[in-house]
Formats: sequence, structure tokens, C-alpha cells
Amino acid sequence: MGKQEWGFKENHELHAAAAFTIRNILESIMENIDEKRSGKPKIHLGHGDPSVYDCFRTSTSVEDALVESIRSAKFNCYPAGVGIDPARSAIAEYLSKDLPYKIENDDVFLTAGGNHAIEILLTVLGRPGANILFPRPNYPVYEARVRFSPLEVRHFDLLPEKGWEIDLDGVKALADSDTVAIVLINPGNPCGNVLTFEHMKKIAETARELGILIISDEVYAHQVFADKPFIPMGVFGDIAPVLTIGSLSKRWVVPGWRFGWIAITDPTGILHQTGVAGSLKSCLTISADPPTVIQGAIPAVIKNTPESFFLNINKILKEAAEMFFEKIKEVPNVTCTHKPEGSMFTMVKLNIPAFEDIVDDTDFCTKLAKEECMVIFPGEAVCLKNWVRVSFAAEPKVLEDAIERMKAFCLRHAKPM
Amino acid sequence: MEMENGSSPAKSWGFRANPELIMSSDNTVRGVLYMIRSKLNQLDTRPIIPLGHGDPSAFPCFRTTQVAEDAIVESLRSAKFNGYSPTDGILPARRAVAEYLSKDLPYELSPDDVFLTLGCVQAIQTIITVLTNPKANILLPRPGFPHYEAFAKACHLEVRHFDLLPDKDWEVDLDSVNTLADENTVAMVIINPGNPCGNVFTYQHLQKVAETAKKLGILVISDEVYDHLAFGKNPFVPMGTFGSITPVITLGSISKRWIVPGWRLGWLVINDPNGILKQHGIIDCITAYLNISADAPTFIQGAIPDILAKTKDDFFLKIVNIIKDCANICYEGIQDVPGIICPTRPEGSMFVMVKLDLSIFVDIKDDVDFCFKLAREESVIILPGMSVGLNNWLRVTFAIEPSALEEGIKRLKAFCERHSKKP
Repeated sequence: MGKQEWGFKENHELHAAAAFTIRNILESIMENIDEKRSGKPKIHLGHGDPSVYDCFRTSTSVEDALVESIRSAKFNCYPAGVGIDPARSAIAEYLSKDLPYKIENDDVFLTAGGNHAIEILLTVLGRPGANILFPRPNYPVYEARVRFSPLEVRHFDLLPEKGWEIDLDGVKALADSDTVAIVLINPGNPCGNVLTFEHMKKIAETARELGILIISDEVYAHQVFADKPFIPMGVFGDIAPVLTIGSLSKRWVVPGWRFGWIAITDPTGILHQTGVAGSLKSCLTISADPPTVIQGAIPAVIKNTPESFFLNINKILKEAAEMFFEKIKEVPNVTCTHKPEGSMFTMVKLNIPAFEDIVDDTDFCTKLAKEECMVIFPGEAVCLKNWVRVSFAAEPKVLEDAIERMKAFCLRHAKPM
Repeated sequence: MEMENGSSPAKSWGFRANPELIMSSDNTVRGVLYMIRSKLNQLDTRPIIPLGHGDPSAFPCFRTTQVAEDAIVESLRSAKFNGYSPTDGILPARRAVAEYLSKDLPYELSPDDVFLTLGCVQAIQTIITVLTNPKANILLPRPGFPHYEAFAKACHLEVRHFDLLPDKDWEVDLDSVNTLADENTVAMVIINPGNPCGNVFTYQHLQKVAETAKKLGILVISDEVYDHLAFGKNPFVPMGTFGSITPVITLGSISKRWIVPGWRLGWLVINDPNGILKQHGIIDCITAYLNISADAPTFIQGAIPDILAKTKDDFFLKIVNIIKDCANICYEGIQDVPGIICPTRPEGSMFVMVKLDLSIFVDIKDDVDFCFKLAREESVIILPGMSVGLNNWLRVTFAIEPSALEEGIKRLKAFCERHSKKP
């Protein structure tokens, strides 16, 4: 049989995009894990998913709500693209509690998780010639997904010496008339910081001055445990329009449910007037939906999850963050520059020249995986070379063990004095 | 929402609406039905008869099997599936789908041939995106399922339509396929059992489709979301049967056979024993796309092994029998409706295409006008054929509770009589 000519071929854009995903990067690091050979159980501090640990198990009222939704047989149908009304209303009410204005169910669009919300927003706002402002370091899904969009990316810095605040001068220098939006993540992933009221107000004023909207990624909303309260960016929605991303994944510790939302927190109605809200709706009509059975459970999830559950999770995170921050000081040649105040992550700086045979952050993570059976996330993948991102959302014993292993690793690889 | 700061000068914002998206979404089934539903008369107290979409889950006679409900509840309660899943889906679920589909194939599928998606819609989005390349074109059936067109448009993938032939049981017009294809054609799509036509392709015809595709150097995308919902003379034959003639990608889901479209669990399966798609990097592209896209919830994936293995045949038989009865009620009922012609008795899926004879109506302009007026006057929802590529036809859903269907046909008849020219 002669060589057949086939009409189909690879889509190279996709490869470029996918190289940047968390899963891809973690997979390549995890290829080096061999529990048998290292004789230790694997420790995974590479992603924000503590659902495997008993102490982080979601509230039974959450499970009950979903079981009820399934058993009712009322939610086996297709949902509307924007989501079913009871779920939208429940989230609108939930979010309005922390805002100086009410948002309606028409301002809430349901998505299959925070990542899906990012996909939708970049699709809606994307057009040739436009650009978008991303933080550096950033949550990798933005970087992956934007490569698959006509948008040009420009990075502004988060300043480690200022608790990871946004370099607003840098933002102003980057923006032009084709800039559509600025993305911020608060509480911060990967930095673990929480923005102050004053700083957020300045961000809003800057956005207004530049004529851009704010995408406020608040998947870690309320997961704060130091002295800074969580403030939704929507509070400043009357200064510049804000699109708020949220999800069940972190606060309720169910990342596998893939349920999130985009909320229009824009009291002056600019996003409706300019047609962005309508475009969101259209995009969701075509795009995949979060399962109706999960949507059906949302009112009960929001209503019935006891405050004590959230307080307990935050307490565990607080203790973990504090313990991590203290103990990492004992590990040579790495520095956690800012005590984590929120989310599940913190950034740790590597002193690469002090190591004998480690060339960069990816090398560090790969060797750490091989030798200590431990996974953390290389900073290059969050756009900050020679740092690493570590999750502290794990059981205390696991976290202690992790730091011990890091210490042993760093001592072993240190340049001789 | 009022302007809070009235003294501010008019702002020039850098962001704007996305008109392409708006156009694409208006042409989906969801989008069109939304427009038709807006015509409903709120004062009509009669129940709305939904003959527009493929979702009978609201009707008790179509309730899914207890096995499926139990499986998903157990998966949830185990607390083992609250975390993130791998890109392609969790292995037990992929293995279960591979085993389930292999039962009807002449070879064994491996779990690596299976990709789990957030409903069949995401499987469509995936394959369209993966096959997009600057000069490429794809062959779609007319009439078809408009989501294909919507995604192709969003990706800027050129679409060419081949016809399904109404006087040949809606078979593919292979001559037109041959004429349309060129060196830039990547694939052809077939939907079997057929949406919107309600036909089921024969083994021989599917084989001819495979041979045509091979000759043209294209792959076949077989949308089998209505798999096994076949109740006429032709048994359901999966296109993957011919995967060694030409590469086949099968799209499917649990939505239709288990009547749970709201669970959003589908799959994209590679039927390519010769490994051609792999050689051409298509498999890697599929993984790459799913890597940057939303996933099906892990606990629903966790329920798949039990759903596929434990559902009893008598549930499937029950559902198929109800749908078959409905198909017959619909076909026979429409024979008595003036101005509507049903060329073939439906044998599969949940739909049938019927043709409008506009000449007998006084004041009906076209299929869209027909559907708008029908919604307003009779609270019956039907999908205009324009949205599936055949103007002045209608796509009628017969898979609803039988007595509701009878009521719907009664109202349809009353409407057509009312709008008919007097003799």
C-alpha cells in the first residue's frame, strides 16, 4: 500500500499553549517520583488541592446538598448557558453580602470552575490587536489559555519587597489604547498575599485612568488568616468595571467539582452598555456547562455550610502557613520572603549560586522529586525564575516532613564552604 | 444601573463586545429555542409542550435508572473524587468506556483511546479546535447539528456542507462529498443515529462512507451521542467498526442513553487501529486542548464504571420502547396535519425532520414564522429547520411523555388548520 496523503495535521498553537499548563509541568516533574526507590511516601505540594487530607474534607452539608440534588431527579436536564436561576440567585446573594450594592442573578454566570471562567473571559475579550495585562508571577492557566487567543500579553510586576503589591507605575507604562484589562489574583496565587483597601483603590483608579476593566480572580476569597481582611474588588466597581471570578473549589475544598462563576460587579453598568455582558452570555451559550446536578445543589451548599467549617479550614491554613514560614527559615539557601496571609500558596526564593549542581528552579524541583519524593512547582512556570511555589495546604505532619526533606536536600546540594 | 458619577466625561474603554460570539451563539439550538420561547404567551395556562430539544429528563417515564443515581451518590460520598482529575479523565472511567464501546467493535479499545469530556458538546469543541489550521476545511452534513457550525465559525475553520438525501432515508450524498473535498479537507462529520433526521445508517452505507473518506484522505467524525437509540429496521452500527479503513473519531456521552444530559459527561474516542492519527500528532493535540480546557467533575467520572457496567438491559429496553412508541405516535399523527409532510418514519434518535408546504397557509412566511406563531398561539415549541440547515422544514422532537406528545400534535393540527387557506 502506497503512502496515503491525509488532509488533517497538527495544530501547533495548541502545543504552545498546553506546554504551560500546571498539569503538564507537574506531570513532567512527577515522572521523577519513585516511592519504592526513595523509600518514602510521595508529598505533593505542587497544587492547591488538599482534598486528599482528612482534615480538609468538605463539610457533610455540602455532600448532602449534592445528594439531594441528584435524588430529586429535577436536575438531570440541560441547563441554560448562563446557569440555572436558583444557583445564580444564591451566588448573587452570597456575593452581595460583601459589596456596598446588590448584584442580581443576571450578573452571575456559572462556569465549570475557575479555569473555565478564565477560558471564557479570554475568549470574550480576545480580539486581534488588543493586549491584556497579567501579573508576574501569575497563575499558569492564564498564560496557557492566552497563548490560544489573539491577545498580546504584557506583564507587570508584583513587588516582593512590598509584600507582592502591584507595581502600578509599571502598569501605567505598559498600557495603551488597545489594552482591554488587568488581571489580579486576590488572595494571591502564587504569592499568598492579601491586598489592602488602599492599594485596591489605587488599582481601580489606575484602571479607570487607563480605560480598562479589572479581572479579579477571587477563587481564594475569604481564605485569609493574618491581619488583612479579604475585600472583594467589586467594592471598587464604581471606579472601574470589575469582573469577579469565584469558585467552590477552594473555600469548600472540592476542586474536583469544577464549579465556578463570573460575576459582573459593575454598578455603573458599563459592561452591559459596552456589550461585554452580552458577549459573555453568548460565549456561555456555545461553551460547555457545569453539570446541572451541581448547579441544583448550590442554594443548599451556600445556605447550609456552617460558618464553623470555614473557620476550621482557615484555622488549619493559618497554622500551616505559620509553621511553614517559621520552619523554612531552617532550610539553607532558600527564603520565604513574605509570610503568607491567604490562599494556599507561598513563593520561596532560591539562592541558586549557593548550590553546587543546581542550575535553576526547574532543575531544583526535578532533583527534589527524584531524591526526596516531593513535588513543588517551579517558579518559571509562574513566570518567576529561580523561585518555587509551595502549597502549605496539607496535614501538619506532612508539611513538617516536607520541610525536613527540603532541608536535607538543600544541605546535600549546598556548595562546600 | 445609574451612572454614579455624572460629572465624569464620556470614557473611552479599551474593552468591547465580541460580535462574532453573539452571531455564533444565536445559531445554536439553545440560542434559537431561547428566541422561540420568548414568543410564548404568558397568559396561556396550558402546559408548554417542548418539541424543540432533545431532553426528556423532565418526564417521569424517562427518569434515569436507579443504578446511575446510586453510582453517582456513592462516588460522591466516598470523598475519593473531590480532587482534580488528570487531563484525559480518571483511568477507571476511561477503562470502563473503552470496555463498554469495545463490546460493539471488532477490536479492543484501550483506555488511552478514550478522552473524557464535559458532555459531548465539549468533545465537538475539542475535535473542531484540534483540526483547525489556516487553510483547512471540514465537511458537515446538511441538515446537521448547529453546534458544529458554531464552533467551526469560532475557530475560523471553513465549513462545506454535503447533503443528506431525504428520499434515500437521509443517507449521505457521497457524490457531493467527493465534489466538495480537496487537499485541505480534514474530516467529514456524520451523526448516527441521526440528529435531526431520525435515521439510522446501514452497515453498507457506513462502509461506503469509510471508503470515500479513505480515498479523500480525511478522517470521519462519528457523532454517536444517540448510540443504541435505534428502533427500526436498521440496527445501530458504530462507525468505529470501519476504523481500519479510515481513522474514525467517535463522540458520545451518557446524556441520551441514560437520559441525563444535565450530568455533562461525554467522550471522544479514537478508533484508529492503524495508528494514523497518532502519527500525525492529532492525539497529542487532543490532549493539549483538553489540558487547557474545563473538565468533567471528578466524582461524575468516578461513577462511570458502575453506570456503564451495572445498568440493566431492561432499563435500556424500556427507554427505547417508549421512544419507539413516541416515534410512531408522531409519524402517524403528522400524517393528519395539513401542510406538514413527513418523508420517512423515524427509526432512531429523538427527532424527525418534516417539510412545510407553505402554499397551503394563508399567512405563514417561512419555518421561523411558523415556529414563532405556533409558540405564541399554541404554547408548542418546535425547532425551525433553518437552524439545522434546511429552510422551511421543521425538526420535531418526539421523545417526550406520550400523552404530552399527543397533546402537542393535536395543537399542531389545530394551528395548521387555523392557518390554512379556505378551500
